[in-house]
Amino acid sequence: MTRQEQLIDTIPENPQAKSGDQAVITAENLNVYYGNFHAVRDVNLHIAPRKITAFIGPSGCGKSTVLRCFNRMNDLIPIARVKGEVRFEGRNIYDPNVDPVEVRRRIGMVFQKPNPFPKSIYDNIAWGARINGYRGNMDELVEESLRGAALWKEVKDKLKQNAYGLSGGQQQRLCIARAIATKPEIILMDEPCSALDPIATLAIEDLMKEMVEKYAIIIVTHNMQQAARVSDFTAFYNVDEGRTGELAEFGPTKQLFTKPRQKATEDYITGRFG
Amino acid sequence: MTTQTKAEAKTSGMPEGEELRRQIQQRKNRGQIWFSLFQLSLIIAIIALIILLSNIINQTFGLSAVENKIDPESLVQAAFEKTIVGRTDTTTSEDDATLSQSIAANPNAIGFLGYAYYREKADALRVLAVENVEPTEETVTDNSYPLSRPLFVYTSQETLKEKPQAAEFLNYYLDTVDSVIGEVGYFPVDQATLDAARATLAAATAAGDSEGEDNPIAISGSSTVYPLTAAIVESFQAAGYPGAITLESVGTKAGYAALCADRTADIANASRRMTRQEAAACSKNRRTPVEIQVGADALALVVSQENDWAQDLTLNEIQKLFTVAQNWSDVREGWPDEPIERFIPSLESGTLDFFVEKVYVDSYPLEEMPAASLKAMLLANISTGRARALEAQQPFDERNQAQMLELVRTEVVQPRVVASWNALPSLFNRSEIEARTLDDNPEAELHWKSWLSWEFLTSTQSSVPEYAGIRTAFLGTLWVMAIVILFSVPVGVGAAIYLEEYSKHGRINDILQTNIDNLAGVPSIIYGILGLTIFVRVLEPITSGKAFGLADPTTANGRTILAAGLTLGLLVLPIIIINAQEAIRAVPQAYREAGYGMGGTRWQVIRSHVLPSALPGILTGTILGISRAIGETAPVVVIGASTFITVDPNGPFSKFTVLPMQIFQWTTRPQPEFRHIAAAASIVLLILMFTLNGTAIYMRNRYSRK
Ligand SMILES: Nc1ncnc2c1ncn2[C@@H]1O[C@H](COP(=O)(O)OP(=O)(O)OP(=O)(O)O)[C@@H](O)[C@H]1O
Ligand SMILES: [Mg+2]
Repeated sequence: MTRQEQLIDTIPENPQAKSGDQAVITAENLNVYYGNFHAVRDVNLHIAPRKITAFIGPSGCGKSTVLRCFNRMNDLIPIARVKGEVRFEGRNIYDPNVDPVEVRRRIGMVFQKPNPFPKSIYDNIAWGARINGYRGNMDELVEESLRGAALWKEVKDKLKQNAYGLSGGQQQRLCIARAIATKPEIILMDEPCSALDPIATLAIEDLMKEMVEKYAIIIVTHNMQQAARVSDFTAFYNVDEGRTGELAEFGPTKQLFTKPRQKATEDYITGRFG
Repeated sequence: MTTQTKAEAKTSGMPEGEELRRQIQQRKNRGQIWFSLFQLSLIIAIIALIILLSNIINQTFGLSAVENKIDPESLVQAAFEKTIVGRTDTTTSEDDATLSQSIAANPNAIGFLGYAYYREKADALRVLAVENVEPTEETVTDNSYPLSRPLFVYTSQETLKEKPQAAEFLNYYLDTVDSVIGEVGYFPVDQATLDAARATLAAATAAGDSEGEDNPIAISGSSTVYPLTAAIVESFQAAGYPGAITLESVGTKAGYAALCADRTADIANASRRMTRQEAAACSKNRRTPVEIQVGADALALVVSQENDWAQDLTLNEIQKLFTVAQNWSDVREGWPDEPIERFIPSLESGTLDFFVEKVYVDSYPLEEMPAASLKAMLLANISTGRARALEAQQPFDERNQAQMLELVRTEVVQPRVVASWNALPSLFNRSEIEARTLDDNPEAELHWKSWLSWEFLTSTQSSVPEYAGIRTAFLGTLWVMAIVILFSVPVGVGAAIYLEEYSKHGRINDILQTNIDNLAGVPSIIYGILGLTIFVRVLEPITSGKAFGLADPTTANGRTILAAGLTLGLLVLPIIIINAQEAIRAVPQAYREAGYGMGGTRWQVIRSHVLPSALPGILTGTILGISRAIGETAPVVVIGASTFITVDPNGPFSKFTVLPMQIFQWTTRPQPEFRHIAAAASIVLLILMFTLNGTAIYMRNRYSRK
C-alpha cells in the first residue's frame, strides 16, 4: 500500500461535499502584496457553511496570508495590501464602509501559537464578550464556551488562575473557547496543533468535528493526515519557481487526495514535493 | 598555518583530538579575560557607590564644638534668685547674725545659713532635715545630705615643683585640717580622702629646682573656704614657718583665674570643682591643676525653736517654700495657715548662689522653665529695641513655651558651632579633637552632632548653618516633582502610544522619532533656557497665576513651581517617551492579534492588553525620568529659583527653591559647617529619590507579577 493509499483510506465519505454550494464566504481575485512582494495571486475560493476547509501547501506558499484576509488580520501589517474581494454575506469585507471590528467579531481566529492574554482563564474568555457588549450572564457564557472547547472539566476549579498556568494544549483550547465566546460564524485556525502533542491534537480535532455543527471552519495545516482526517474540502497552494500564493487546486478532500488534477498536488500529498 | 594542519584540515576541516581540547581551552581562556574584566567593572561600580555614600555620611555626622554665649544654667540661676529675693515677704541680709536673730525671734520664720553660723546660734534655732537627712558630720561627708558641697584647695604640679614651701604648707594643711575644721564650722573629710590627697602631693612634689624658695606663698579664692585656710595659715606660722603668706578672699572663680590665667596665686581656695573650661585655661598656661578636698560645707535650713510643726522638708517643698508658697499650709497640708517669713543671705553672698544651684538649677533645666520665666530671662538679656522688634513679630504672650524657649536660645544663649569635624576623625581622633577644642575654644562643649535632624528637616533657610534647614527646599522639590509627574507621565506615555500604536509608519513618524531620540541627549541647561523663554517669560500670565487671578499682579512673576515643573517635565519627556515606546514595542504582537481577532477596537486592545503589559517598562522609564528631574540643578538655576526663601511653597504659583539648588548654594559658602548641611541635604535628596523609585518599583513588581 502506498502512502497515498493509506491516506485516502482515512478520508470519510462525504457525498454532499461539493464546491460552490451556498458559500458562507468567498474570495474573488484575491491578491495580497507585502510591499512589492506579491504573496497571493488571483485566489478564488468558496467556503462552505458548517464544513471544515483545509489549506495545505509548502511553507511560505501563502496559506496564512489568505486565511488572515478572511478577517482582515492583514490590516495589522502596515506593509500588507489586499486587492480583490472577500465576500461575506454578499458584502465585500474590504469595502470602505465595512468595519473590520465587526468582521473580526463575526469571524473568529485561533492562532498557530497559543496566545492567551496574561490574565485569568475567566477573563480571557469574558474579555471578548464584554467588549462586544455581551449582555447575558457572563458566568454561563464562560462555562458554555469552555465546554464548547472541551476544557471545562479541567479548569472549572481554577477559573481565576492565570491562563499561563495551563499546558500548551489547554492554552490552545482556551484560545478556541475564547474565539467561540464571541459567537462567530466562521472560525479561522492557523496551524492550531503545530505546537501540540498527538493526544492534544486529537482532542482539538474532535473538538473541530463537534464545532463544525455550528460554524464553518478554515484550518491551515502542514499535517496531511490531519487535513485528510478532519476536512471536507481542501485547498492546495503552491510555490512555483518563486511565484507564491497560487491556489493550485481546490475541491472535496476525498477527490483531491484520490484524484488530484494537478501534478504538483499529487507530488505534494505523496511527499515528493521539493 | 603549518602544512601539517593544512593536511588535517583536508580530512575533517575541524580540529580533532588533542588539538580540539587545546583549541577549546584557548577559547575558554579568552572568555576568562572578558569575565575578569566584567567582574572588575562591577567592583569599580560598587566601590564608587560606597565612596559616594560614605562620603556623604561622613560629612553628615561628627563632633561639633558648641559655645554658648551665655550659660543656660546661669540664666536659670539668675531667674530663681530674682524671684526669691523679689518676694516682699522675704528679707535679705548680708549679716548672718541679723538673720539668725530674726529667725529665732519669729515662729513663722524660716531661712538658711552656712552650717557654721547655725552652730553659733544652735541654742535659738532648730535645723530641719532635708529629704529626711539631717546635716551631721556623717551625712555631709558622705554627701547624702542634699544641701552640702565639698571644699577644696587647688594648686598646680608646676607650683609644687617650683615652690617646695607651698607643698610643705599643703602637707601641713592635710595634717591639721581635721583638728580645726570643726571650730571653723565645716565638716571634715574622711581619712581615706586625705591620704589620697597626700599621695597626690607626694607624687607631684618630685625634687625640682626650688628657685622661688624665698617668695611668699600666695593664696586666693573662695570666701567660704577662707576662714578654714586662715586658721591653718595661722597655726602653720605659729608652728614656725618663717616665710610670708598672703591670703585673699576674692571668690572661687577669681581664685582659679589667679592660679591659672594670671599665675599670681600658688593656691586657690574653692567651694566648687574646677570646670573643664577652667582646667583647660590652666593647661593653656602650663599649669596642671591638683585638686585637694579639705572638707565639706552644708547649708542649714533653720526655723525658730518656737516653731513646733516643721521637722523636715523635701526638696520639692523647699522649692515651693521660697517661691510660690504664701502660707505654711501651702507647703504641706496640716501646717498652720500662717504667712511664711523668709530671712536669707543677700545676693552678694555665695550662700544664696549655692542654695539656688542645689535646690533649683539642678531640677529645672532651661527647657522646663515656664513661658513667663523665659520671657523675663529674654527681656533681661536683650536690648529694648530688639525686644520691641520681636514683640512686633508676634507678641511674647501669644507665643507658647516652646517658641519662647527657642527665642531664649537663639537670642540669649546663642549656641554657636565654633568648630566641627566629620564622622571618621570624630571616631578615630577623638582625643586629639578634645585637646584641640580645649586649646582653641575652651568655653565650647563637644557634642556628637547629626546635622541631619528633625530640626534640619523642619527649619527654613538661615545664614547660620546650625539653624538652616531644608523645609522650603524639600517642599519645593515635592511640588515641582508633582508637576513633573502630572505633566510628563501622561504626555510622554500618550505620545509613545500614538507613535507605536497609531502612526507606525510614514516619513513624519521617522522625523519625530529621530527628534525625540536627540532631545533625550540635549544638555539640561538648554532646557533651562527654553523654560526661561517659554514658561517664565512668554507664558508668564499662566505660570505666575495672574491669568487665574491667583496671584498679586504687581509682584507675581513667572519664576514659579509651575514653570520649573513644566521645564523639568519637558526635560524628562523624551526619556519617558522612549522608554514607554520600548515597553510598548516589547508587548508580544500575539496579544494584539488575539485582541483584534476577537473584535476589539484599537483603544480596547491598547487599554486591556498593550498598556498592562507595557506598564512595568513605562514605570521604569518614569523612574529614570523622575530620578533625573529630582536632581537637576542647572535648569532650575536658569529659570530662577529663589536663592533665599523661607516661605513654604503652597501651590503651583509659589516662589520656590529645590533640594539640589539648596545643596549647590550651601557648597559654595565659605563656612565649613555648610558642608555638613549640604551633605545632610544630599541624604534627604537620596532618600526622597529612593522612596519615589521604591514606590515605582513596588508598582512595577505588582503589575508584572501576573
Ligand atoms: N509580514 C510580512 N512581511 C513581508 N512578507 C511576508 C509577511 N508575512 C508573510 N510574508 C511572505 O509572504 C509569503 C507567504 O507567507 P505566509 O505566512 O502566508 O506563508 P504560509 O503558507 O503560511 O507559510 P508557513 O506554512 O510556513 O506558515 C512568504 O513568502 C512570506 O515570506
Ligand atoms: Mg503560516
